[in-house]
Amino acid sequence: MRKIGAIIAALMLAAACGTSGQSAAPSQPVAASAKAASVTITYLTHWPPQQVELLNKYIAKFEQANPGIQVQVRAVPFGSLLSTLRAQAGSPSGPTITGIYDLWLPELVKDGIAAKAPTAQAQDIENNWPANLVSGAVTVDGSVYGYPNEIDLYMLNYNKKLFADAGINSPPTTWDELTKDAQALTKRDGSGKITQQGFGLINSWDSGVVHPWLSMVLSDGGQLLNGTTPQLTSQAAVETTTLYDQLIHQLKVTDPAMGTSNANTTGPFLDNFTNQKTAMIVMANWWESALQSAMGANFANVGTAPIPVGPHGSAAHSVSYAWLTIVNAHASSEQQAAAWKFLQWLDDPGSGDTAGAAGMGDLLMTMGILPSRNSDVQTFQSKLDTPFLKSYVDGLSSAAPFPIVLGGAELTVAIQKAIESVEFGQATPGAAMQSAQSQAQQIIGQYYK
Amino acid sequence: MQLLWSGVFLVPGVGLIAVFVVVPILLTAWISLHQWSMYTPLTQMQFVGLANYQEVLSDPTFQQALLNTFIYSGVSIVLTVPLAVFFGIFLYRPAIRGRTALRMVLFSTYMVPTVAVAIVWGYLYSPLYGPFNEILSFLGLPSQPWLGSTSEAMVSLIILNLWQTLGYYTVLVLAGLTQIPQDYYDASAIDGAGLLGQTRYVTLPLLRRTLTFVVIIAGINTLQVFDPVYVLTQGGPVNSTNVLTYDIYQTAFQFGRAGAASAMAVLLLIVLAIVVPALLHVARED
Amino acid sequence: MHRRKRSATREFVATQRRARFSRLTLVVGQYILLTVASFVALFPLLWMVASSLKTPAELQVLPPVWLPAHPNLDAFGTVFSVIPYGQAFLNSFVIAAGDTVAIVLTSIMAGFVFAKYQFRGRDLLFYAVLATMFVPTIVTLVPLFHVIQAMDLVDSYPGVMLPQLANAFGIFLMRQFIRGVPDELLDAARVDGASEWTVLWRIISPLLVPAVATLVLFAFVYQWNSFLWPLTILQSQDKFTVVLAMSRLLSYTSSIQFQNVVMAGAVISILPNTILFLFLQRFFIAGLAQTGIKG
Repeated sequence: MRKIGAIIAALMLAAACGTSGQSAAPSQPVAASAKAASVTITYLTHWPPQQVELLNKYIAKFEQANPGIQVQVRAVPFGSLLSTLRAQAGSPSGPTITGIYDLWLPELVKDGIAAKAPTAQAQDIENNWPANLVSGAVTVDGSVYGYPNEIDLYMLNYNKKLFADAGINSPPTTWDELTKDAQALTKRDGSGKITQQGFGLINSWDSGVVHPWLSMVLSDGGQLLNGTTPQLTSQAAVETTTLYDQLIHQLKVTDPAMGTSNANTTGPFLDNFTNQKTAMIVMANWWESALQSAMGANFANVGTAPIPVGPHGSAAHSVSYAWLTIVNAHASSEQQAAAWKFLQWLDDPGSGDTAGAAGMGDLLMTMGILPSRNSDVQTFQSKLDTPFLKSYVDGLSSAAPFPIVLGGAELTVAIQKAIESVEFGQATPGAAMQSAQSQAQQIIGQYYK
Repeated sequence: MQLLWSGVFLVPGVGLIAVFVVVPILLTAWISLHQWSMYTPLTQMQFVGLANYQEVLSDPTFQQALLNTFIYSGVSIVLTVPLAVFFGIFLYRPAIRGRTALRMVLFSTYMVPTVAVAIVWGYLYSPLYGPFNEILSFLGLPSQPWLGSTSEAMVSLIILNLWQTLGYYTVLVLAGLTQIPQDYYDASAIDGAGLLGQTRYVTLPLLRRTLTFVVIIAGINTLQVFDPVYVLTQGGPVNSTNVLTYDIYQTAFQFGRAGAASAMAVLLLIVLAIVVPALLHVARED
Repeated sequence: MHRRKRSATREFVATQRRARFSRLTLVVGQYILLTVASFVALFPLLWMVASSLKTPAELQVLPPVWLPAHPNLDAFGTVFSVIPYGQAFLNSFVIAAGDTVAIVLTSIMAGFVFAKYQFRGRDLLFYAVLATMFVPTIVTLVPLFHVIQAMDLVDSYPGVMLPQLANAFGIFLMRQFIRGVPDELLDAARVDGASEWTVLWRIISPLLVPAVATLVLFAFVYQWNSFLWPLTILQSQDKFTVVLAMSRLLSYTSSIQFQNVVMAGAVISILPNTILFLFLQRFFIAGLAQTGIKG
């Protein structure tokens, strides 16, 4: 027994030495050692290969202007990003720069992974990005931790052709209109099986489920958290869930089996909408490129509109969330300095191909993603003024950021499961929200006493 | 002298296993008594005693995952083993040509990386673009949601597993069959036993050890199913395909609760430590 | 038996005819079974190959197209241009082949001791080793990452390979086989002055060909296909294995029209295992049988 204890102690010691940054300058691959006094930094992202290619083009431009700094991109699928970060961020050989979902930031700050932005960069961020975004997405306890890049929010996406076929002129603005239109837009075969879905709900993907739901809650006058207290049994939350229940089980205008998505956020949910078998969904702006490539000419049929307002809401509000790039606090000081330099360059007007645009802005625009820097929003104004994106841009000012709290990822999954249990007829809306509330309290309670 | 050579020969194999399997198990058990986010060094863990176990055991998601894992494993074994015996006997009999070809075809599915299998089957199950629903509608049957429904998702994953592993287990059975001396069959043939009789009274009893081995291997493999769940369903819809390994992975890597995840891992080990010796015990009773 | 011998001739002829008829049905039935089983086993693989040859337009049509009208290999080119699939292939090969060689060597050595040497606690140690065969990857994943990190081997070949250089299954397989080698053979060599090292590598090893072929096949396939551990330990794209690269390919397929690219990646990923199997398959049922599984 004592022997085992000794082995554990030895190993823990070894592990601790490995992680605490003793070997501060990690042995980097051959590329770095070839050039003396050069520093190699790595950039972890979930972007698809086309965007990585573009990023590499900007990196080449940066490296030319800044000899001695090499930037290597490490790309993983969206589904593996957080687990990769979790496994690797604590080590000095982990990624120097990571593009993260803002919800993960509080934990990365708490555990000392995210480095505070140096004064120059913090000022750059505060001066050039919308104030509500800086405070809502990249600031923890008064300090700025990274460059915001993409910003996403949700709108009603609807198929104009199917609307016209059903004799409906305009998208629904209230829940009453929504249920009425969905009924008119639903077609069934002889057995009662839905062949054309009035309103589509996504399942099997956590934030994909929770964000549209929360947008409906917000548009019914509700919220997710009051401070750190979950509001899942509130009137708006229960009403929204009840609406889902009605659409599926009473009105039968939604079929959960048509809403499945896989780890890569594709699958029947996307397929049914792009094949014009789903008339309406609530979805984010970033998937414009997926719609375009899958729908071809039919993409012109897609219209976007504000979230329909619930019986107790006064206006349409979407959830918004942001992605940001952070720098690993475990990296060496040379690496950290080089990383901030690179990020500032990449987010600075002039690094992009479009005149006056930041490289990051150009990159995001290729994916149909809204850039967040004030100057980029200006630069791309005409490009953003498309039938698809316009309502998203207009909705930015009334959007509410998804609260960034510790335990956010787990909270999202708990709510997802509660919503899905209603969708698949396993729980009543009231009971599902009740159990989600108690789970949410427990999850949040782990971190906020 | 032998002791010295024992050392020389054992150290590489057994030493590696000790360092890279046994020590990590002990560390897992140690971590299970702590609260730890994985971003911080191991030394900064916070001791919480058995709190993780208490929490995990009362967590309905974990209970569901445990149940799902047993269902996946149990149904897979119940379907796979008899089919493997059937095909094993079929392929062992020298009656017809083409057996070698079928043996290779069956085994070829085992060559495909599970991630690739999951990707391919994801498309096969696709309600709109997939061929399965096309076949059903050709046969006049209603199309199915497959992975998109709480009642069919698990079945779909089991079918995938059955397809992928049947050839492998068939080959194990075949190997066992070659161990049965031909004399036994000759003797039973003289007694007038037909194929069924031979199978019942000669083959199956003598295959007992092989079958135990197959059941254990199938048990271990299915109890740690991960890849298809990760690629295709993420445990959904509504936990219907959430299995232990995926739950542990999500708890550790998505939620950052490495302590709770380690407690689950230890519980999984305990389950295995009960099930495997029990099976071996049953097999040894002759 | 006696009664049958005494039965009337007519009845005997009828029985014979029935037997011939039922033998015929049996043969036909077997061929039907053979065909159906082959089709079921091959169908997903055929679908995979067919999809990899389709054009993006064909992948988007509803109802789905079964066979490509104009099979083309474009997707196979795309795979190599969107991610370094060739590099991934090389990585997988180095990792799987290196692991396999090491597993064979460590397994023969340890198997020899457990089969032929006597010392106190031998069987206990053997069962302890055997028990590790039942430990799921997930149980050791997190601490193992930290062990490798403590050795500063994250994101490297050695890091991903080191924990895989020995395994209980290999030791078990070799021990079972070497037990079947007659002691007289070893003693004769020892009398001739051979060292234990010589006995193992010169006398025993040549007899192990079917067992080694079996182990090589299983070890290589296992390593080539493994996902969870490489996913955890490898970071940069130029170190990715084929399976990791394939999961990365999924990011490319935000739409059904890129299905051909993913399928092309899947088709390529199967080739090494298949080639190895074709080379080794004549050994490996015999190998399994003689070593395996009789307890």
